[in-house]
Amino acid sequence: MALIEIKNLHVSVQGKDILKGISLTINAGEVHAIMGPNGTGKSTLSNVIAGREGYEVTQGSVSFDGQDLLAMPPDARARAGVFLAFQYPVEIPGVSTSAFLKTAINAKRRTEGKPEIDAMEFLKLVKAKNKALGIPDDMIKRPLNVGFSGGEKKRAEVLQMTLLEPRFAVLDETDSGLDIDALKIVSDGVNALRGPTRAFLVITHYQRLLNYIVPDYVHVMAGGRIVKSGGKELAYELEAEGYTKYLAAA
Amino acid sequence: MRLTSLLDHPFRDAYAAKFGALPGATQAWIDGLRQTARGILNTSGLPGPRVEAWKFTGLGDVVKIPFLPSSSAEDIDVREIPLGVPHIPGARRIVLVNGVLSAELSDAVNDPPGLRIGTLKHYLAREPQILKPILGGLASSGSYPMAALNTAYMSDGLVILADKNFPGSTLHIISIGAAGADPVAFHPRHIITLAAGAQLNVIETHIGLPGQSYLSNPLTEISVGENATLKRYVMVAEDNDAFHLSTAAVALAAHGTFEAFHLVVGGGKVRQEVAVAMNGAGATCRINGLYALTGKQHHDLTTVIDHAVGHGTSSQLVKGVVDGQSHGVFQGRIHVAKDAQKTDARQLHKALFLSKGPEVDCKPELEIFADDVQCAHGAATGEMDPNHLFYLMARGIDADTARAMLVSGFLEDAIATISDELVRAAFSDLVQSWLKRRAA
Ligand SMILES: Nc1ncnc2c1ncn2[C@@H]1O[C@H](COP(=O)(O)OP(=O)(O)O)[C@@H](O)[C@H]1O
Ligand SMILES: [Mg+2]
Repeated sequence: MALIEIKNLHVSVQGKDILKGISLTINAGEVHAIMGPNGTGKSTLSNVIAGREGYEVTQGSVSFDGQDLLAMPPDARARAGVFLAFQYPVEIPGVSTSAFLKTAINAKRRTEGKPEIDAMEFLKLVKAKNKALGIPDDMIKRPLNVGFSGGEKKRAEVLQMTLLEPRFAVLDETDSGLDIDALKIVSDGVNALRGPTRAFLVITHYQRLLNYIVPDYVHVMAGGRIVKSGGKELAYELEAEGYTKYLAAA
Repeated sequence: MRLTSLLDHPFRDAYAAKFGALPGATQAWIDGLRQTARGILNTSGLPGPRVEAWKFTGLGDVVKIPFLPSSSAEDIDVREIPLGVPHIPGARRIVLVNGVLSAELSDAVNDPPGLRIGTLKHYLAREPQILKPILGGLASSGSYPMAALNTAYMSDGLVILADKNFPGSTLHIISIGAAGADPVAFHPRHIITLAAGAQLNVIETHIGLPGQSYLSNPLTEISVGENATLKRYVMVAEDNDAFHLSTAAVALAAHGTFEAFHLVVGGGKVRQEVAVAMNGAGATCRINGLYALTGKQHHDLTTVIDHAVGHGTSSQLVKGVVDGQSHGVFQGRIHVAKDAQKTDARQLHKALFLSKGPEVDCKPELEIFADDVQCAHGAATGEMDPNHLFYLMARGIDADTARAMLVSGFLEDAIATISDELVRAAFSDLVQSWLKRRAA
């Protein structure tokens, strides 16, 4: 069954058309990758899925698990199981990472009718996940993303994803700024979450990431449209040939 | 300073009868100080809108209220320390009611060796020779408008003297303002003197009891000796119809440290002026603070930091959250004298608007006459960053909780500058309860 269904999505930002008719169906258990040049609308798609303000949907629909996703506020989307690992996570001074994580976990638990996580359980959980992701334990004592290196920010995004166990996760260029070791660790984190009830949309610029997170489908996006879809081999083709011919087509 | 404005003050008549009864009235030197102060007050009045340093804080409402002098704790019966006074573990509580010591409410403990705490009244009566070289030395009546008013009518206060290398102690001065049937004004005069190498933490809580309006006009003269460290943490949670106009004049000797934090969550009209003279080389001054205002509250933090000699460091981080029709003011003057080379002075003021109604004025003034210095100042005001809000909500946190987290985070950033762990925790709790009250 389709977990997420994007139909003929048109989006404009400040009167400028960015997405020009995106259709994409992702079933539970699948990993899709979107590749495409800069400025083509990949982050726009991510942000529209997550519910950021400032994007005008002029046509089309997005449904998640049969619900009209676009009608839900961002927090409700997240609690329903949608997650976006941001391309550029913001730094929020004064808000400690651990307090933030706990609040987010409890928001989800409340929705599920579960009791709040207790302090010990929380620490144990975060410690275990930190270890797997190579995150130093004292990182969560620091203000959220403040002064984190590019790589630390990306790991922190994956940590959040791991803790919140979303049903559908979008990773927006989570690989950029990561060295090869970090890339492996982050990919392992994603792969550990793969399963029959979850789906992923992995946005990347480079084929490299897809060696570690092997997708079921690859889509090429250019000029606000999906211009080609195929299996994982499409990624190799793109790596070899570049986006030029798709740009012309768009 | 010449005051060009003349707001006639309401203190003249009601106070006249009290002159003879003010402590120290029989001593020529103290009487002289008072006469000078009264002279300045009577010719200049209270600062009006044309006095530059007071242009954002008008006293038009103050001068309309017929305040009566409140010179004794017996005027009003306060039986317990009000709720809302933070608990600082291990701190010795000294309670003042309308500026007068309440022995009953204060902790009954002896002064540790090397520290003497007494009332101004006591020192004026018994050991005036100790006060004579100090009183009015840092805050003369001509230099601060509120000092003139304070000096003319000061009736009591605390004198805190730490001897050389005093190893440290934490005092919590709880200043309770309480008017009975009539509005009252009180003008406590405090002295804090740290000899070389001494350490002291002073927490001040200013809190009010419900009732008529009152004016609290404390003046504190602070002298920090060589290599000495004073941490002064001031919390103002006066009543909504209370006026709080305080002045602190600080002198720092070589390698001395003065760390201040001003937390303001209450009071109808609050103005805090802190002037620090960094007289010795290598001194450190930190004046940080936060204000959280709602309704028609007005708060003004005015600081003057004078880098008179070189190798000094000063830093300031002041954050404000404003809602309703409140008005926040930050004025920060930094003066770096010609010979004050290698000075490092930093200042940052940030205000967060929770609605469209409030007003915030920020006036940084840098007067730099030395060339080999590092000075940086910044000011930013704005509404909550929608990107921050979205980030939290994208993780499932509802809008109200997310907003509260961001306001808290904005303020905690300032709280983090408090180096004393216990005070940091207590002040953080105060911010959290302010947020809860607001949400309720
Ligand atoms: N908030 C915004 N305001 C103005 N233009 C935007 C905004 N977000 C995206 N854009 C524009 O939309 C286009 C697509 O951007 P984006 O979705 O970030 O592309 P990609 O992620 O593929 O690099 C770009 O031309 C970009 O300038
Ligand atoms: Mg992008």
